[in-house]
Amino acid sequence: MLINPIFALQALPVDVNFASIAPELIVIIAGVLVMLVDAFAAPKQRWLTGGISLAGIVAAGVACVLMWNDAGTGGVVTSSFNGMIVVDQMRLSFTFVFLIVSALTILMSMLWVEREALPAGEFHSLLMFATAGMMLMASGGDLVIIFLGLEVLSIATYVMAGFRRNDLRSNESALKYFILGAFSSAFLLYGIALTYGATSTALEGGTTNIAVIADRIAAGTAIYPQLLFAGAALMIIGFGFKIATAPFHVWTPDVYEGAPTVVTAFMAAGPKAAGFAAFMRVFVFGFPLVATSALSIQVHAAWINALVVLAILTMTIGNTAALVQKNVKRMLAYSSIAHAGYALVGFIAAGVTLDITKQNDAIAGVVFYMLTYAVMNLGAFAIVMLIARGGDRRTELEDYTGIGFKAPALAFALSLFLLSLLGVPLTAGFIGKVVVFRSALDPAVMNDYRNVMTLLVVVGVINTAISAYYYLGLIVVMFFRERTTEWRAPRVPASVAVTLILTLAGVLYLGVFPGKVIDAFRRNAINVSRLR
Amino acid sequence: MTPQLSWYLALSAVMFTIGVAGVILKRNAISMFMCIELMLNSVNLTFVAFSSFFNNLNGQLFVFIVMAVAAAEAAVGLGIIIALFRNRESLDVDDANLLKL
Amino acid sequence: MNEFQLIAYLPILLMFLVAAGFGSSQVILSALLGQRKATKTKLMPYECGKDPVGSARERFSVKFYLIAMLFILFDIEVIFLVPWAVVFRDFVASGNAAFIYIEMMVFVALLLVGYVYVVKKGTFEWGDRARVEAETEAKILARQERLAAIQVERKAA
Repeated sequence: MLINPIFALQALPVDVNFASIAPELIVIIAGVLVMLVDAFAAPKQRWLTGGISLAGIVAAGVACVLMWNDAGTGGVVTSSFNGMIVVDQMRLSFTFVFLIVSALTILMSMLWVEREALPAGEFHSLLMFATAGMMLMASGGDLVIIFLGLEVLSIATYVMAGFRRNDLRSNESALKYFILGAFSSAFLLYGIALTYGATSTALEGGTTNIAVIADRIAAGTAIYPQLLFAGAALMIIGFGFKIATAPFHVWTPDVYEGAPTVVTAFMAAGPKAAGFAAFMRVFVFGFPLVATSALSIQVHAAWINALVVLAILTMTIGNTAALVQKNVKRMLAYSSIAHAGYALVGFIAAGVTLDITKQNDAIAGVVFYMLTYAVMNLGAFAIVMLIARGGDRRTELEDYTGIGFKAPALAFALSLFLLSLLGVPLTAGFIGKVVVFRSALDPAVMNDYRNVMTLLVVVGVINTAISAYYYLGLIVVMFFRERTTEWRAPRVPASVAVTLILTLAGVLYLGVFPGKVIDAFRRNAINVSRLR
Repeated sequence: MTPQLSWYLALSAVMFTIGVAGVILKRNAISMFMCIELMLNSVNLTFVAFSSFFNNLNGQLFVFIVMAVAAAEAAVGLGIIIALFRNRESLDVDDANLLKL
Repeated sequence: MNEFQLIAYLPILLMFLVAAGFGSSQVILSALLGQRKATKTKLMPYECGKDPVGSARERFSVKFYLIAMLFILFDIEVIFLVPWAVVFRDFVASGNAAFIYIEMMVFVALLLVGYVYVVKKGTFEWGDRARVEAETEAKILARQERLAAIQVERKAA
């Protein structure tokens, strides 16, 4: 075949629909506004930039709810911009989670930027751009958009991790996050490139559209099927780094420990959920099982088996490594690795369920899990931030000795968050685990994978039992150890108090009345990407 | 002799592997960063090769996006490296050991 | 293939002329209109702002890195502008002219916001100290020149 330098312009009608990206647009406009305010206003404007960011997030939330009510009803678009953007329940639910994470992070950051006299405007605009990146990762129907969203998110987060510029730990954390993040992006990108080539057909070139990838695999018209396996494997590595699954998790504790606590809270809740959104979009919808296609069966079996191994490793390594940690931030970092493992169980369940309604339920379960994890994790980190004081210096386990009765409100709140992370009944974490494990044990799971799913759930339950040791250990340290040194309870400023009240209410509400939220996430079981 | 698609793919695979090896073996932050750029560019080569051999523009578009992203990443990465250098006076990643691995 | 026509290269010739005219006009204009203060810094051999004498390994201002990074960021926009310009006519023909034009203007406006931000943050301020030093140096040189002129006058007298 000759190299033809002249391409025929592939003129497509431009399928413009700004309503379908309204939440993203609002968040980006708010971010740009914050930048301009930061450039022109006087230095003392952290309430102003924080207020604009919060207003933008609320507006985006309203747009999201409006789209939510319209989604699935007749005449509403299911994809726009020639398949670049997808409008479905999964995207909207994830968008909702990201907005909650960002709003809580902004509230938490108010204290921090004031205490350390950091440039609030820069932080808030970076946070808004990171939020927009996460939302694009969830709404992308094409690998281009997913990659772009991932990079917008990552680049903003690299800067946020190194935000405390004069602190060596923050510098090192940013450098590690940057090098490993860029490294994993390159793997993801190579995977995308090979998938793009592998899906070429004899008649036309490759595709990066996820729905078309699924069609081509199902139709068996892809000419380089072998490359597809390499591409999928490299994409698993790339996404695995982003959501911190076990063999690719080594950056997590270092980065989480060194980054400012607010940023750690954000990184553990937001980008992880965004990683899951994109990971599920690509694999559940891009490489689904189609019984009539041999290639599809092989690819599907390959990625499911790979993820099963990753999930078992992630849960086990995360929890066992957390046992020996002496630093609370590191402990919570390993706990976040373990939670990625639990959520992976729900992801695999979505992959091995053929019934579309049940698959949608499994996906809704993962979104719900990410929501509960975000709420309890942000709450726990808010208290860690308060106890750590300026410069995040007091994060060792011994800094928590005996504070239980000196600052009872904080200690009880932290205990509740830890119990929720452990998964004690009546807390959000319990319901999250139940929902995820239930979809793994659902009768709709394919026969071949029944045993594997049971194994995953058993491993998950054993790991939950292991995790009791370190979660309860911190509670014991707080309440039942004597403190020899002087300690005064930190002042709780209004913005952090609001964060704590919201997260506490969230943990209890999601733990006691989870039905409404889960139903909202699983409403409209049409699976848009699959229908095309 | 007409160039075959596989030549380009092999070249980019070799480049990617060199990049990966460099990131793992090099100890200087700037060198590691350059190896990452090498990886990104090898991916670009893959995209362009597929795009060119199948007369499909998607790959070329992806390359534009990757180049823009790589530029943004370079700016942020160099900024982080300078901030670290100012505080530590060394670019050796083995010296960046406050956070135990 | 069409026959070779020299006239087809006329735009390139015009481009050369414009470029050469712009370059030479700037040099001539500044030679005619510019004020000349021969400070010591200005009389040094040009070395992109670094001291040309001494060790090449000494550290220089971080501002150079900043400018280089900003250059990377603002330079890369061209990879979007050029393909846009290439396909613009096709889009006009397909009736999407307004859309594609507004899209690119939004892109440029966003870049402008970035530029305004950078300027407002003072990235291009090369430090007050450097400016003060240059000004005092210029003043000293001017005074020396005046003194020399006075001496020449006295000798003549």
